[in-house]
Amino acid sequence: MESRAVEQGGAPPPAGRGARRPEDYRTPLWVDWCPGCGNFGILTALTQAFAELGLEPRRTVVVSGIGCSGKTPHYIYANGVHTLHGRAIPFATGIKLANPGLTVLVVGGDGDLLGIGAGHFVALGRRNLDITVIMHNNQVYGLTKGQASPTLPYGVKTKALPKPNIQDMVNPIALALASGYTFVARGYALDVKGLKELIKQAIRHRGAAFIDVLQPCVTYNDVYTVQFYRRALYRLEDDPDWDPLVRSPEEAPEKMARAVAKSMEWGERIPYGVFYVDPTKPSFEERLEKRLPGYLDQPPALQRVEQAGKPTVTREHLRRIFGEKIVQVNPARRGRR
Amino acid sequence: MVLSEAYLVIGGPQGSGLETSAQVLTVAFASRGYGVVANREYHSNIMGRHSYVVFTVNSRRLVGHLSAPFHVAAFMDAESVFTHFEEVSKGSIFVYDRDVEATPLEKVVSMEPARRARVERRLRELGVEPTVGGVVEHLRSRGVRVAGLSFRGILERLQSRYQVPRGRLRRFTSAIVAGAVAGALGLDAAALEEGFRYRFRRREHLVEPNVYTAMLAAEEVRGQAGSIDLEPGSLELGEALVVTGNEAVAIGKVIAGVRFQSYYPITPAQDESFYLEEHELLDAGGERLGSVVVLQTEDELAAIAAAIGAALTGARAATATSGPGYDLMVEGLSWAGISEVPVVVTLYQRGGPSTGMPTRGSQEDLLASLFAGHGEFPRIVLSSGDHEEALRDAVTAANLAEKYQLPVIHLLDKFLANTVKMIELPDPAGMRVERGVWEEEPGPDYRRFRLDAPTHPISPRAPLGGAVMWYTGVEHDEYGHVSEDPEMRMKMMEKRMEKLSLADREIPERGERAVLYPGGEKPSSIEMLILGWGSVKPVVLEAVERLRREGVAAAYLHLRYFQPFPARYVYALVKGVKEHGGKVVAVEHSYRAQASMVVEMNTGLIVPYKVVKYTGRPIYLHELLEALREIHAGKTGRVVLRFGE
Ligand SMILES: Cc1ncc(C[n+]2csc(CCOP(=O)(O)OP(=O)(O)O)c2C)c(N)n1
Ligand code: SF4
Ligand SMILES: [Mg+2]
Repeated sequence: MESRAVEQGGAPPPAGRGARRPEDYRTPLWVDWCPGCGNFGILTALTQAFAELGLEPRRTVVVSGIGCSGKTPHYIYANGVHTLHGRAIPFATGIKLANPGLTVLVVGGDGDLLGIGAGHFVALGRRNLDITVIMHNNQVYGLTKGQASPTLPYGVKTKALPKPNIQDMVNPIALALASGYTFVARGYALDVKGLKELIKQAIRHRGAAFIDVLQPCVTYNDVYTVQFYRRALYRLEDDPDWDPLVRSPEEAPEKMARAVAKSMEWGERIPYGVFYVDPTKPSFEERLEKRLPGYLDQPPALQRVEQAGKPTVTREHLRRIFGEKIVQVNPARRGRR
Repeated sequence: MVLSEAYLVIGGPQGSGLETSAQVLTVAFASRGYGVVANREYHSNIMGRHSYVVFTVNSRRLVGHLSAPFHVAAFMDAESVFTHFEEVSKGSIFVYDRDVEATPLEKVVSMEPARRARVERRLRELGVEPTVGGVVEHLRSRGVRVAGLSFRGILERLQSRYQVPRGRLRRFTSAIVAGAVAGALGLDAAALEEGFRYRFRRREHLVEPNVYTAMLAAEEVRGQAGSIDLEPGSLELGEALVVTGNEAVAIGKVIAGVRFQSYYPITPAQDESFYLEEHELLDAGGERLGSVVVLQTEDELAAIAAAIGAALTGARAATATSGPGYDLMVEGLSWAGISEVPVVVTLYQRGGPSTGMPTRGSQEDLLASLFAGHGEFPRIVLSSGDHEEALRDAVTAANLAEKYQLPVIHLLDKFLANTVKMIELPDPAGMRVERGVWEEEPGPDYRRFRLDAPTHPISPRAPLGGAVMWYTGVEHDEYGHVSEDPEMRMKMMEKRMEKLSLADREIPERGERAVLYPGGEKPSSIEMLILGWGSVKPVVLEAVERLRREGVAAAYLHLRYFQPFPARYVYALVKGVKEHGGKVVAVEHSYRAQASMVVEMNTGLIVPYKVVKYTGRPIYLHELLEALREIHAGKTGRVVLRFGE
């Protein structure tokens, strides 16, 4: 059974009960990204973060969209849901709301999250649901062979493009901030250690977290290359005055304005690290718990709805829940004149 | 003559409280032991456009059909008078607002040009002056019992008695209309009071002035026009539910154990989600049964995606939508198909294509519900014919979804969604909740899409959170990992499609997937077999009954499942009827009679006769009977119905 599992790409050798290693979070599948692709760095950072947080694979769900990046969950030994192009966030939303006890992550491409799925990206921010979104930002549509993605600036011509890009780029950090994400950061796929730390913080954060991960696509993006990033990137944390943490709700507008201003830097110098953290805003689950006391203990996935093949709802329950729709029928008291 | 069944219409501008009148009347009749149904017709508009409600009241049994001419018509405004004056007949009671008597047709600005031209032409043909007064005179001359009330006068009296602020007086127009109908049919003040109590549950103080106003109108109508002799209601139900179709489905979902519903607002589906949200706490008087999470998403792409996500965790999950939203959900449906996800899509059909007629009914989406979605995957499509069925089918849909691990489309329509009907209080003890096959103790080698399970083609499920598994919209292996291997492809495709064959073997054809009325009828004794589905059920059943009384051996085959289609049963029946010279007639709300196409596709037998309606208005008994009689007499093969404004 064991060898078969490995053959077909199922479970890795059973992980020990104790501390987990990053390898314990890898499936034995052959990873089919191009050699040198930045996605490898993201995968490594993810498994390292999982190991350091000691996440339980059964209780962890990695949800992805479609693209090179969308394949990530298959390489991770934890629940994986490889969804539709652009829809990873709403799938993840249903999963998290139905069972808020699970740790839910979304991994997706820049085309996936900010092109076809942009509406969902905004919606997650508005809800501040406790989900971590990791965007593989390679400025191209990798899997469809290099078209411009929504993060490619105007006028840039990468090698697969027949003409320079005619559309403007969207600023992912500013969009995340404007949408309401309460943890907003930028990572770099080749700074695995730094990225791992960001992922850990993002997962620990209660609320919607977004990490824009700059990910060199060695096959289609000859503009935003490793060499380019090596020159341009600088760490926010190297500035001793940089303090992204919101300590009370009153601080939020000013901190957000600073983060937005910082996010405008894109060109010769590109900042990365944590832009903004607001732990003071209630998460969607907390808001729901207020409306539906007991929700966190008995979310949809854990409610018992069947007893010996019958509904748990009885006629008497219906009378009480929907009583306002019940009319007493009393023909005897008929009142014809 | 004493009537056991009466047909009524009330009308007025949208936003003027007509719905209140309708609700009050429905409950008043129900509380007096009448079977009652009320269908609401309205524009895609919040305020000002013409709307009306059509009722059938029966003193002996629960009813669902509508018919005309109306025995009682009560209208708030001039537009209603111009729009409906030809829908009453000799002896009918016609109530209108005397204060608008002088209003000419051209001053009714909210009327659509096409209708105005039609009314104008008709009045010219009849030689009637184009004013409310002219129309009323015409009716009087035709033997209609007319009652002109001064709405202003009645509201003045209300004002002087209860000191209602002047700005709020117009809100009592709904009471005048309800009272007018009550007067015309001899409903008493206590019955109306029940109605107003139901309506103003948390605003008790409104009950008394409303009843007062209604009774002023009732007395005035009786004084001017007398009343119609309707038998006293005799239904001994004890208690009944008075609900819209939307509400019936929501209640069904609660019984089914649906605990997650996502939606994006769309007419005529949104009221279901709204109603669920209103009762999300499942608060049974202190005893909490859990709660329902109702999520308003950013669009329908997200609505189905979220429902699927919830289903993956083991929750019973559903979404509700209508045509345009369904179109967006199709990508999710296909994903649920390949990933074997139990998810229910409650699809309320409305007039299409595109935005079409958002507030009008149709049965135009049957083919879309069966075929929309790329690739081949199994789905179950079932439809409900009335409120009782809709409630039960909400439970059935959830069961089938989990039993066969596939998307289920529960087809309903606007007619049913908005129609208020009195039904018996359902008893969940008589219903089943079937959650399908689960892996009891999933180990580290759990295979979500296991191919060698004893329950094959069903692979035992485990929820996200209970094991480690993978899902993907890509073709996959047993673990849910991407696979393009041709043999694996064949196995997975066959496994998925075999679930449909399994459902076809397990779900009874006769009585569940298709129901024949009257039950035991033999094909050889059926002269006219009517095929129909969804909300045509009540009106067709009534027509069958009347035809049989006229000596025509008619029967109705109510089609409920379109996938898996009850092909063997329908084939045998249709073939048998045809072989004995009987006629097979489809009655549907679509141009092409889509269900008849599905019958033809599945049985290879032609359905030669068709009665269709695509105005977006319900099929009325009188027009259906006429059409069926014509077909029976061999005068025509296709009748297009058009009654109703
Ligand atoms: C609805 C839909 N449209 C188009 C596609 C084709 N498609 C596959 S991947 C992709 C783009 C992926 O780009 P991105 O999201 O940036 O991911 P990357 O491959 O760069 O990681 C597209 C357009 C699809 N799968 N679904
Ligand atoms: S195409 Fe680009 S993003 Fe995709 S795997 Fe290759 S290098 Fe990576
Ligand atoms: Mg990309």
